Amino acid sequence: MTDNWTVVVGIKQVPDEDDVTIDPDTGTLNRAEAAAILNPPDRNALEAALQLKDEVGAEVIAFTMGPPTATPVLELAVALGCDDAALISDMAFAGSDTWPTSLTLAYAAEYFDADVGIFGEETTDSSTGQVPPGIAAHLDWAQLTYVADLDPRPEDNQLLATRDVEGGHEVVAADLPVIVAVGYGDNDPRPAGLHRKLYAETEFEPMELDAEALGIDPDEVGLDASPTQVGGMDTADPVEREQEVVDSVEDLAAAMAEEGAV
Amino acid sequence: MPEVDVDEYSDIWVFIEEHAGEVAPVSWELLAEAKKLMDEKPDDEELVALAIGSDLEDVAEEAIARGADRVLVADDPIFEPYRADPYGKQFRELVAERKPDIALIGGTTTGRDFAGRVAVPTHAGLTADCTQLGIDDEGHLEAGRPAFGGNVVATIKCENHRPQMATIRPGVFEPLDRDDTRDGEIEYVDVVVTEEETVTEVLEREVGETADITDADRVVAAGGGIEGDTGPIERLAEALDAEVAASRKAVDEGWMPHARQVGQTGKTVRPELYVAVGISGAVQHLEGMNDSDVVIAINNDPNAPIFDHADYGIVGDLFEVCDELVAALEEADDPQEVLA
Ligand SMILES: Cc1cc2nc3c(=O)[nH]c(=O)nc-3n(C[C@H](O)[C@H](O)[C@H](O)COP(=O)(O)OP(=O)(O)OC[C@H]3O[C@@H](n4cnc5c(N)ncnc54)[C@H](O)[C@@H]3O)c2cc1C
Ligand SMILES: Nc1ncnc2c1ncn2[C@@H]1O[C@H](COP(=O)(O)O)[C@@H](O)[C@H]1O
Repeated sequence: MTDNWTVVVGIKQVPDEDDVTIDPDTGTLNRAEAAAILNPPDRNALEAALQLKDEVGAEVIAFTMGPPTATPVLELAVALGCDDAALISDMAFAGSDTWPTSLTLAYAAEYFDADVGIFGEETTDSSTGQVPPGIAAHLDWAQLTYVADLDPRPEDNQLLATRDVEGGHEVVAADLPVIVAVGYGDNDPRPAGLHRKLYAETEFEPMELDAEALGIDPDEVGLDASPTQVGGMDTADPVEREQEVVDSVEDLAAAMAEEGAV
Repeated sequence: MPEVDVDEYSDIWVFIEEHAGEVAPVSWELLAEAKKLMDEKPDDEELVALAIGSDLEDVAEEAIARGADRVLVADDPIFEPYRADPYGKQFRELVAERKPDIALIGGTTTGRDFAGRVAVPTHAGLTADCTQLGIDDEGHLEAGRPAFGGNVVATIKCENHRPQMATIRPGVFEPLDRDDTRDGEIEYVDVVVTEEETVTEVLEREVGETADITDADRVVAAGGGIEGDTGPIERLAEALDAEVAASRKAVDEGWMPHARQVGQTGKTVRPELYVAVGISGAVQHLEGMNDSDVVIAINNDPNAPIFDHADYGIVGDLFEVCDELVAALEEADDPQEVLA
């Protein structure tokens, strides 16, 4: 292959977990008031993509499917070093669960003619981890999840990955095109450079893609195309804990003995 | 959307995750729980174990002994070690041919990789990392999963698509004891994948410890605070006759093996005693240990959230507290009592 690789990175804006509160009266979650941040595992996805850019000169495009208010995460991606970024937004996408979300992102990966699609391990708001394998399945591409490290082999048109498996790791070679989900915390994300940051904040405007631009039939996405429904949200009874802070190790040992724990 | 005729679908399938003949314990946990769900299903339906791998004779027999009515075995060297593409294709074929109503998969890294891959082509509804399973009056699977540190349980249903799929966290359900007198049918299915069609190749695989911490009565768990020195928690664990576990931070830093990780992306433990050492108490961690009987926290930050989720806490440097605690426990009136 002579062309540079095109790498797309999927990122999502999520409510800051530390900010999500539960209304003690209604038992509902106050997500709306929480600050919006980049899904923390997606930081690792961006870093893995930017490393491919450093290593093989790949062009890196970040995208997010979400409302226009998600634009700040795209600016952050560009500030970190992505070449470009796209907002994938359409009323037709509203209410999508992982099935239509992965379908939409699969179309987006094809739209950019991607060789590699890099994603985070999971989102902190829906935490399914299903979107990246779902994209790979829609496209019938190779998939590499829980990836700790990538080793590009453009001469073989392959991407090698070290991935975490239960109790160890494995090295897998995948033929391009391929979908990667990077393990959360598995690399050290770089900070944004000052120059890039300025550009992202002042000049940069993300591309905007709607269903039509991506060639998506609105019936394929959104709530109606979502196989799962939330049947109910129950507040679990919080586990009652003594919450007693003792002053000495002797008291701790005594408390443990009293509980019959030792 | 292509509507499916949900009435054409029957049986509960459990994916038996197996690596080189070693079965992930969550597979047996799921078989046991699925057997309970079978009580809510029509009598002519079966509990089916699905085993994909190589040289699976023993695995298939054990699946019967652990509760399956039938085992579907796809046995071929192509399936060892696990790869998403050949496993996915084989599964899709079997689903298209046999139309299972429910398919349950362990929430391990392999199980999640596999479930995400296969749910899409079948347009199945897939719920991630459940801790509760039930069947409602209309026969739909109700998959419950905790959110926000276990403060909320969301119940997910899938009414119009089949199969209804879920991944389930390891350690939540109890496996059945092996009973070799049980009857069941072992059926070898056609292998539909060839090496030429695969797009991945496993070049190297190194698997060390696959400890099972989910059965332990006592657990001492290490967090970021241990700074790479596992000595204090190992000594404390020994004094308490406890299993050693870890937060994700301690695992990501490489101080502790992944098999010992507790939490949303690790295992669920419910010991009599859980000692969190140098662990902050992030929601993802709490979800894996909230059902412990007694929780002890050792942390040098009085504001660490873990203290709100502990019965007894001590504010102090773990490098001092652990060893002092070991000494205090050993001084207890009767050492036998300590270890009883
Ligand atoms: C998608 C996703 C999935 C996740 N899944 C999991 C999971 O399954 N399990 C999990 O555990 N986490 C999980 N996490 C990570 C979680 O959010 C936290 O980052 C993690 O639990 C932090 O681990 P920790 O508390 O051990 O480390 P830290 O956050 O580093 O906290 C260390 C604690 O030790 C204390 N300390 C430091 N030095 C000392 C000392 N000398 N003596 C006493 N105390 C000391 C500090 O006060 C602090 O409270 C997940 C995160 C995400 C985004
Ligand atoms: N709406 C979205 N837009 C872009 N990427 C997404 C979106 N949702 C999920 N992803 C990607 O898929 C990963 C896994 O998400 P999930 O399956 O929702 O846990 C995330 O870390 C992102 O990289």
